[in-house]
Amino acid sequence: MPIPSVHEKSVRLTIPPAGTASGRPIARRKGGLRRHPAWLPYALVSPLGVFVILLTLVPAAFTLGESFFRVDLFDPPIRFVAFGNFVDLFRSSAMRTSFANTAVYVLIGVTLSTVLGFIMAVTLQRRFVGRSLLIALMIIPWALPGVAEGIMWLGIWGSDTGLLNSALTSLHLIDHYQVWLGTNPLLTIFVIELVQVWEMTPLSALLILATLQNIPGEVYEAAAIDGASPLRTLRHITLPLALPGVTLAMVQALVGAINIFDEPYVLNGSASTGASAVMQTYFVSFQDLNFGEGYALSLMITVVTILASLVILRFIYRPVEY
Amino acid sequence: MRASSRLFRSIALVLGAAAVTTELSGCSGGSQSPAHEKIRGETITVVMPAPPPPKKLLDRFTAQTGVTVKWNNVDFDSITTKVAAGGAARTYFGDVTYFNFLNGPQYAKLKWFLPLDTLLDPGVTKDTLGKSAFTYDKKLYGVPWDASVGVTTLNKSMFAKAGITSLPTTMDDYTADLVKIKRAGIVKYPLSMPFSAAEGLTVYWIQTTVAFGGASIFDKHGKEQFSSPSSPGYKAAQWMISALKTGLVSPGAVNDGDSQAQGLQAQGLSASSLVDYAGNVSSLYDDPKQSKVVGQVVYLPVPGAHGPVRSINLSDGIGVPAFAKHPAAAAKFVSWLIDGKNQIKFGGAGASDEVWSAQYLPSNYPALTTLNAKGKVGDGAVLLNILKNHSQPYFPYGTPEWYPAFSHAVQTSLHAAATGTMTVPDAIKAMAAAATH
Amino acid sequence: METRRSWARRAGVLFVLVWTIIPLYWAVNISLQTNVQGSAKPSNYLPPTPSLSNYIALLLGSGETAQAMRQGFVNSILECLCATLLTTVLATLAAYAFARMRFRGRTVLFYAVLATLALPAYTTLIPVYQLMSAVGLVNTYVGIILVYCSGFLPLATWILHNYMTALPISIEEACEADGATRMQVLWFVVLPLARPGIASTALITFLFGWGQFLFPLILSTDASTAPLTVVIAALQGRHSFPFTMMSAAGVVAVLLPALIALVANKYIVNGMLAGSVK
Repeated sequence: MPIPSVHEKSVRLTIPPAGTASGRPIARRKGGLRRHPAWLPYALVSPLGVFVILLTLVPAAFTLGESFFRVDLFDPPIRFVAFGNFVDLFRSSAMRTSFANTAVYVLIGVTLSTVLGFIMAVTLQRRFVGRSLLIALMIIPWALPGVAEGIMWLGIWGSDTGLLNSALTSLHLIDHYQVWLGTNPLLTIFVIELVQVWEMTPLSALLILATLQNIPGEVYEAAAIDGASPLRTLRHITLPLALPGVTLAMVQALVGAINIFDEPYVLNGSASTGASAVMQTYFVSFQDLNFGEGYALSLMITVVTILASLVILRFIYRPVEY
Repeated sequence: MRASSRLFRSIALVLGAAAVTTELSGCSGGSQSPAHEKIRGETITVVMPAPPPPKKLLDRFTAQTGVTVKWNNVDFDSITTKVAAGGAARTYFGDVTYFNFLNGPQYAKLKWFLPLDTLLDPGVTKDTLGKSAFTYDKKLYGVPWDASVGVTTLNKSMFAKAGITSLPTTMDDYTADLVKIKRAGIVKYPLSMPFSAAEGLTVYWIQTTVAFGGASIFDKHGKEQFSSPSSPGYKAAQWMISALKTGLVSPGAVNDGDSQAQGLQAQGLSASSLVDYAGNVSSLYDDPKQSKVVGQVVYLPVPGAHGPVRSINLSDGIGVPAFAKHPAAAAKFVSWLIDGKNQIKFGGAGASDEVWSAQYLPSNYPALTTLNAKGKVGDGAVLLNILKNHSQPYFPYGTPEWYPAFSHAVQTSLHAAATGTMTVPDAIKAMAAAATH
Repeated sequence: METRRSWARRAGVLFVLVWTIIPLYWAVNISLQTNVQGSAKPSNYLPPTPSLSNYIALLLGSGETAQAMRQGFVNSILECLCATLLTTVLATLAAYAFARMRFRGRTVLFYAVLATLALPAYTTLIPVYQLMSAVGLVNTYVGIILVYCSGFLPLATWILHNYMTALPISIEEACEADGATRMQVLWFVVLPLARPGIASTALITFLFGWGQFLFPLILSTDASTAPLTVVIAALQGRHSFPFTMMSAAGVVAVLLPALIALVANKYIVNGMLAGSVK
């Protein structure tokens, strides 16, 4: 085995993500840099802190607190109901279906967008003629406004006049137009999620590419000298060194997929075959005006997102230092 | 750590105070008195799912009243979001806004809109069609800015080609005619139906229920009237599903919203729509940019069990939100928009730079007759008769404030029945469950 | 071996092209047709009579739609650029502190910031709306920019934190040994080294801003501040489905981001791989 895994040798694995478990490696590393004035880090992070606390954390604390109250504009007054909203949510079969749907969206979305994003990033890792153009092209799906994207994909998946049906018919692969959306639940979710994957993969690719750009050329030179095959280099150097970017990509895909709204709403209406949890939040809060229940649902989505992100961080994230 | 938690608390305090101030200022905005002299120099914001009326006419409005209009064109779905966010936050978002009659009872009950009876000058709504849809507890909360009802449309050339000489008046004839057109191979799927889970599906079902002899899906006491298999609502659902299963409707209809289903007829891919929107002959079927069947589609009174039935009212309204900053100026604008003389110009009877294509059908009845006399309303004679004499409110006993949740259940259940993931009896059961609040 | 790698890259390039271009081609193709042509069965794989009328209606002349689109374009650019600038600067400062300094509350703050990524947008919509209304920032550029920043800062900080921790610390140590202060190290060493990361972050932030819909919908009350996304959504009529025009609007909306990406690439792809760090 000429190429040892990066984990073992070429890279010092010393920096945990801020605050994970041990302070030991940090202390060791910090030994190198001299002490800074005590106020300096606070000065550097306080603008961020003010933004996040004032415009996100405090507002969220207000509304998520309402999860435990009956805040139904048609059923006043506002009163404490403990977990009453959550019980109501789980009693509704439409809600349970939307939870299951969302789980499938997340599973497909995170897997596909990460794998495809990684492939794109590796493709773009090295210099070649037209690379900048390709990156510019690649990010376009992400820049497409939601409504336009939905309508464009209606023109592709459409059951009466869509491109897919037309193309498959022209190629004699099907003899009459098929309905892709709304009949088979799993197919429906897959087709809808594919649109979201198309939209968010550019970001995954950019996030992974940014990490790949950080890998010193020497690492690859060493691998080449040791006679490693491209596949082995990919498996044992590129992939492990890209893990911070992969983690970011997975978390952003998780956040995107768990919050999926536009794609199912435009392509499949409010049908239960594609309805997502966030769509239910919208229906409950903004149409039924039952804000307590809507915020309870939001709180659940938040907690699930955080837990799932922690799982990704725990099992995928590997800090690297060159 | 201690420092940050203190920071937290003080920010929360500031934010809390901010919320209270908003609430106070919001309330005072709503209770301003309509002193008409004072409106001169005011600027109002108008939120509508349409581009603004012609500049020439808007300028004239400003010259006459001293009120400047800022236009906010927002899509239909997003207006619901804006109204709900504005209402829940008790915050100003506009002085005049579009609102849907289906959400109207919610908004009225929550006092998110101002009653217009005192705001508007007496008599300005005298000739406006469809007002009943916006009247709750005997108060008028919105005024229809265009008129629309559920109406049948059909392609008379296709009917003629199938050898049908007299247009159907009963549901039996209508169904038989569609079968005839399909058998003759004139078009593969003769009937348009929007089976995607969206508002258009509920509208289609409720009008079809009327066709099967049900004046309303709820009785006076709000009890549902469609769960017994012999009821019109049940029969309507069954008829719709079987039209799909027997191939009168394209299998792809399960993905189609109302606009797309109507689009199929415009493409010549279907011969009729049992429930179409009055106004579509001019704005869709006779528009060569959108239609291949120009001049072929006509209106038909909705066929019923024993002859034509009433059309349900589907008007879009405008109202003044409770947190409006300038309610009196807003009311002036509402009056202007529904004024017959202006609606005639919007409709194309005046100068060409006075046409407002966003006006679907004028809501002012005399304006509508004038425009029809000038040939500006596609297939106008049939339409005017339906609008004036054969229409009824969507819910004759009043729209329940829980309508959005109910409609949501209707859409998802009928869609599920159409895709085969639910049986018709189960779908009806789910709809009935949503109706017993 | 080299050939195998180049074949793999060719396959990758082909994949990126096909994956991206087919749907985009369809949008362009549809945008050049009328509604009648666009819903033909079978589909027109090429526009039968290519027409720019959708684009003309969207962009040129004094029509209401064109005016609103142009104003929306200006608003989007202003709001996104300002938000990107502010976010990138603040995130860089914070990321450096998180990556290279130890201070009380660091862990809590870092995770609190990251946790906000998990909040669905509807959670903060109404309170933020109330707050902005209370301080008079509804329907202002400043209001929209501030809210954008609060939304984009967490991810930007995280990306830059990841990037900075991976930079070789030895250079920074050497500089300090030569007597530079921490801020000098940040300015003269870290920033140049982190330039690809900062450029990526800026591009990502800009694109996030470009796609925003819900918050600007609520925070703008007329055309003076509404971004392109809100203007485009409003092209849907109450009773019409102008899908060829929507496709054209989508094409228009992606032109500028694509151009910016093209420019930004110069910085993004110029990382260590290119040998800038030894």
